[in-house]
Amino acid sequence: MIEADALATAGSWVAAMLRSSTPLMMVTLGETLTQRVGIVNLGVEGQMLGGACVGFAVAAATGSPTLGFVAGAAAGLLLSFIHAALCLGCEANQIGSGIAVFTLGLGLSSYFGRAAIGGKVAGLAPLADSDVAGLPFVGPILTQLTPIAPMAIVIVLIAGFWLFRTRTGLNWRIAGESFQTARALGIRPMLVQAQGILVGGMLSGFAGAILSVDYTQTWANEMTKGRGFVAVGLVIVARWNPFLVLPVVLLFGVSEAATLRLQATGLTLSPYLISCLPYGVCLACVILVSLREGRIGGMPAELASVFGRRR
Amino acid sequence: MSAAGNVRLIAAVGGSAAFLIAASIFLATIGRPPLTTLWQMVLYAFGDSYSLSESLVKATPILLCALAVILPARLGLITVGGEGQLYFGALTGTAIVLGFPTAPMPVLLPAMMLAGAAGGALWSGLAGLLRARCNVNETISTLLMNYIAVLLVNYLVYGAWKDPNSLGWPATIMFPQAAIVPSVFGTRAHAGLLIGIAAAILLHIAVTHTRWGIALRVLAGNRKVAAMAGFGFVGQTLLVMAIGGALAGFAGICETSAIQGRLQAGLSVGYGLTGFLVAWLSGQNFLRAIPIAILIGGLIAAGDALQLYSKIPSASATILQGLLFVAALGASGLAGRRSARHD
Repeated sequence: MIEADALATAGSWVAAMLRSSTPLMMVTLGETLTQRVGIVNLGVEGQMLGGACVGFAVAAATGSPTLGFVAGAAAGLLLSFIHAALCLGCEANQIGSGIAVFTLGLGLSSYFGRAAIGGKVAGLAPLADSDVAGLPFVGPILTQLTPIAPMAIVIVLIAGFWLFRTRTGLNWRIAGESFQTARALGIRPMLVQAQGILVGGMLSGFAGAILSVDYTQTWANEMTKGRGFVAVGLVIVARWNPFLVLPVVLLFGVSEAATLRLQATGLTLSPYLISCLPYGVCLACVILVSLREGRIGGMPAELASVFGRRR
Repeated sequence: MSAAGNVRLIAAVGGSAAFLIAASIFLATIGRPPLTTLWQMVLYAFGDSYSLSESLVKATPILLCALAVILPARLGLITVGGEGQLYFGALTGTAIVLGFPTAPMPVLLPAMMLAGAAGGALWSGLAGLLRARCNVNETISTLLMNYIAVLLVNYLVYGAWKDPNSLGWPATIMFPQAAIVPSVFGTRAHAGLLIGIAAAILLHIAVTHTRWGIALRVLAGNRKVAAMAGFGFVGQTLLVMAIGGALAGFAGICETSAIQGRLQAGLSVGYGLTGFLVAWLSGQNFLRAIPIAILIGGLIAAGDALQLYSKIPSASATILQGLLFVAALGASGLAGRRSARHD
């Protein structure tokens, strides 16, 4: 029986880890695709907030979580359109523009989200109902996970396959490496960059909606708590590779779940100190990969002019 | 007028016009008469001596945080860490007050202010060290460290530093009179404002009229040439980050001591982020940052007044800041592009 218990605990660990890292997975994938075309978007944090707020409001009003996800993605898309207009249309600085989009998303979601504070939504139903709860290992996973987590993993895999194995994916990679080469090949880099920003915006809005509608099932001001900025850091750790987004985000989820569990075992640590962990872990990962930057490479060349080392 | 001055003028006029249009659309959307409300905001910001003093109170941390962005920008570094440095400076400065609450004013006050500046310098210098030694992008590290600093302050004011008599409110004891930064002009505005303005002027002179200023400019362009003149990237990165952080940390301890009288959660309402905005609106220029910080301080003070008297939530001030930032970036980008085309 002890083994069965251990299996059940392991199962609920995996479930908790997957649930908490699903939003991060989507926003990190979005930022990866945006950076692949040579654009940094720090506005993802604001887009996530917009997606979380609008997604929650729509899900609460219609009773449909799916509509909430769609609305959240649309909100992220709209906010990222501002970033595209500023960076590509006006040739504004990308970091400045990202912070502007973040400020707008923060203000708009706090302003219009007031009506949704204290509201409740019914999230998606779990993958299986309680009949299978007794199954070793998979039981807790199936009863605690909603379809959104496996769906997110599939989206990441499709995005990776698309980026590395299709013609349009190749075009995106070329645009991110060299505008000149892209132009010579008849690709319009500006158009590709606009697509990259908007796809990233959609995914970050979707990520926000997953957070508010499926994970916490509430809306609170600034509820994303810097997950968008953490995602920008994790993109560097994942070397701008969608396939690597999966292990990086999951490892991140393990460390988060582990501390929460540690606290449950009676270790008395202030919740405020524990909340520092995601930022600390993310920073530590970025430091580790930055130390080896020269040897492992992977940064799209056009990105280096905005973001990389200036020597 | 020079070509650069011309571009700046076009950008300023175009940006202001775009901002006024966007702000009017926003105000109309939330059902407020745009022009009346905007005029009301000007009055709430600068209409009488009380409003003006409140605007200066808000402008103080904003100006100091803007300086903390502008100096590293001279070296080509983009930091968004004002908020974290402000919080960490408030934390270290408060540690001195809690450690020696009965010390006399001539000792306690300077020690507290220096500790606050040192805390900010440490927090920012850490990001500088990571940038210079480990090649860690400073924008990312400062953004992440903002959240850690806020949580550390929360950890202390909800925990070890909580005043048992505060009835559950997360705050330290009230600071003794000897640890209060003095106010100036008989208003709520405090000495931090004067030091901020003095720092802006000094930094402006330092970067425009000294060997060091030239070295920063050379370093931003070509590290090898600067190294030959004896200015290493590592040392200078640490220096500009530490000076900037010290100013933001000083802002934090001043806000804690002079305005709130104790360290409490929610010490800053995004002053670090607003400072970043001011730095960009000023074109990374120390002197221009002074009037712009006062203008934006007025915007935030007016937002507070609108919440109080007209029941418009203060988040509207954040939205207006966002719109202003978008308008300014768009206008200066477009103006710059046009001038590049005409050359």
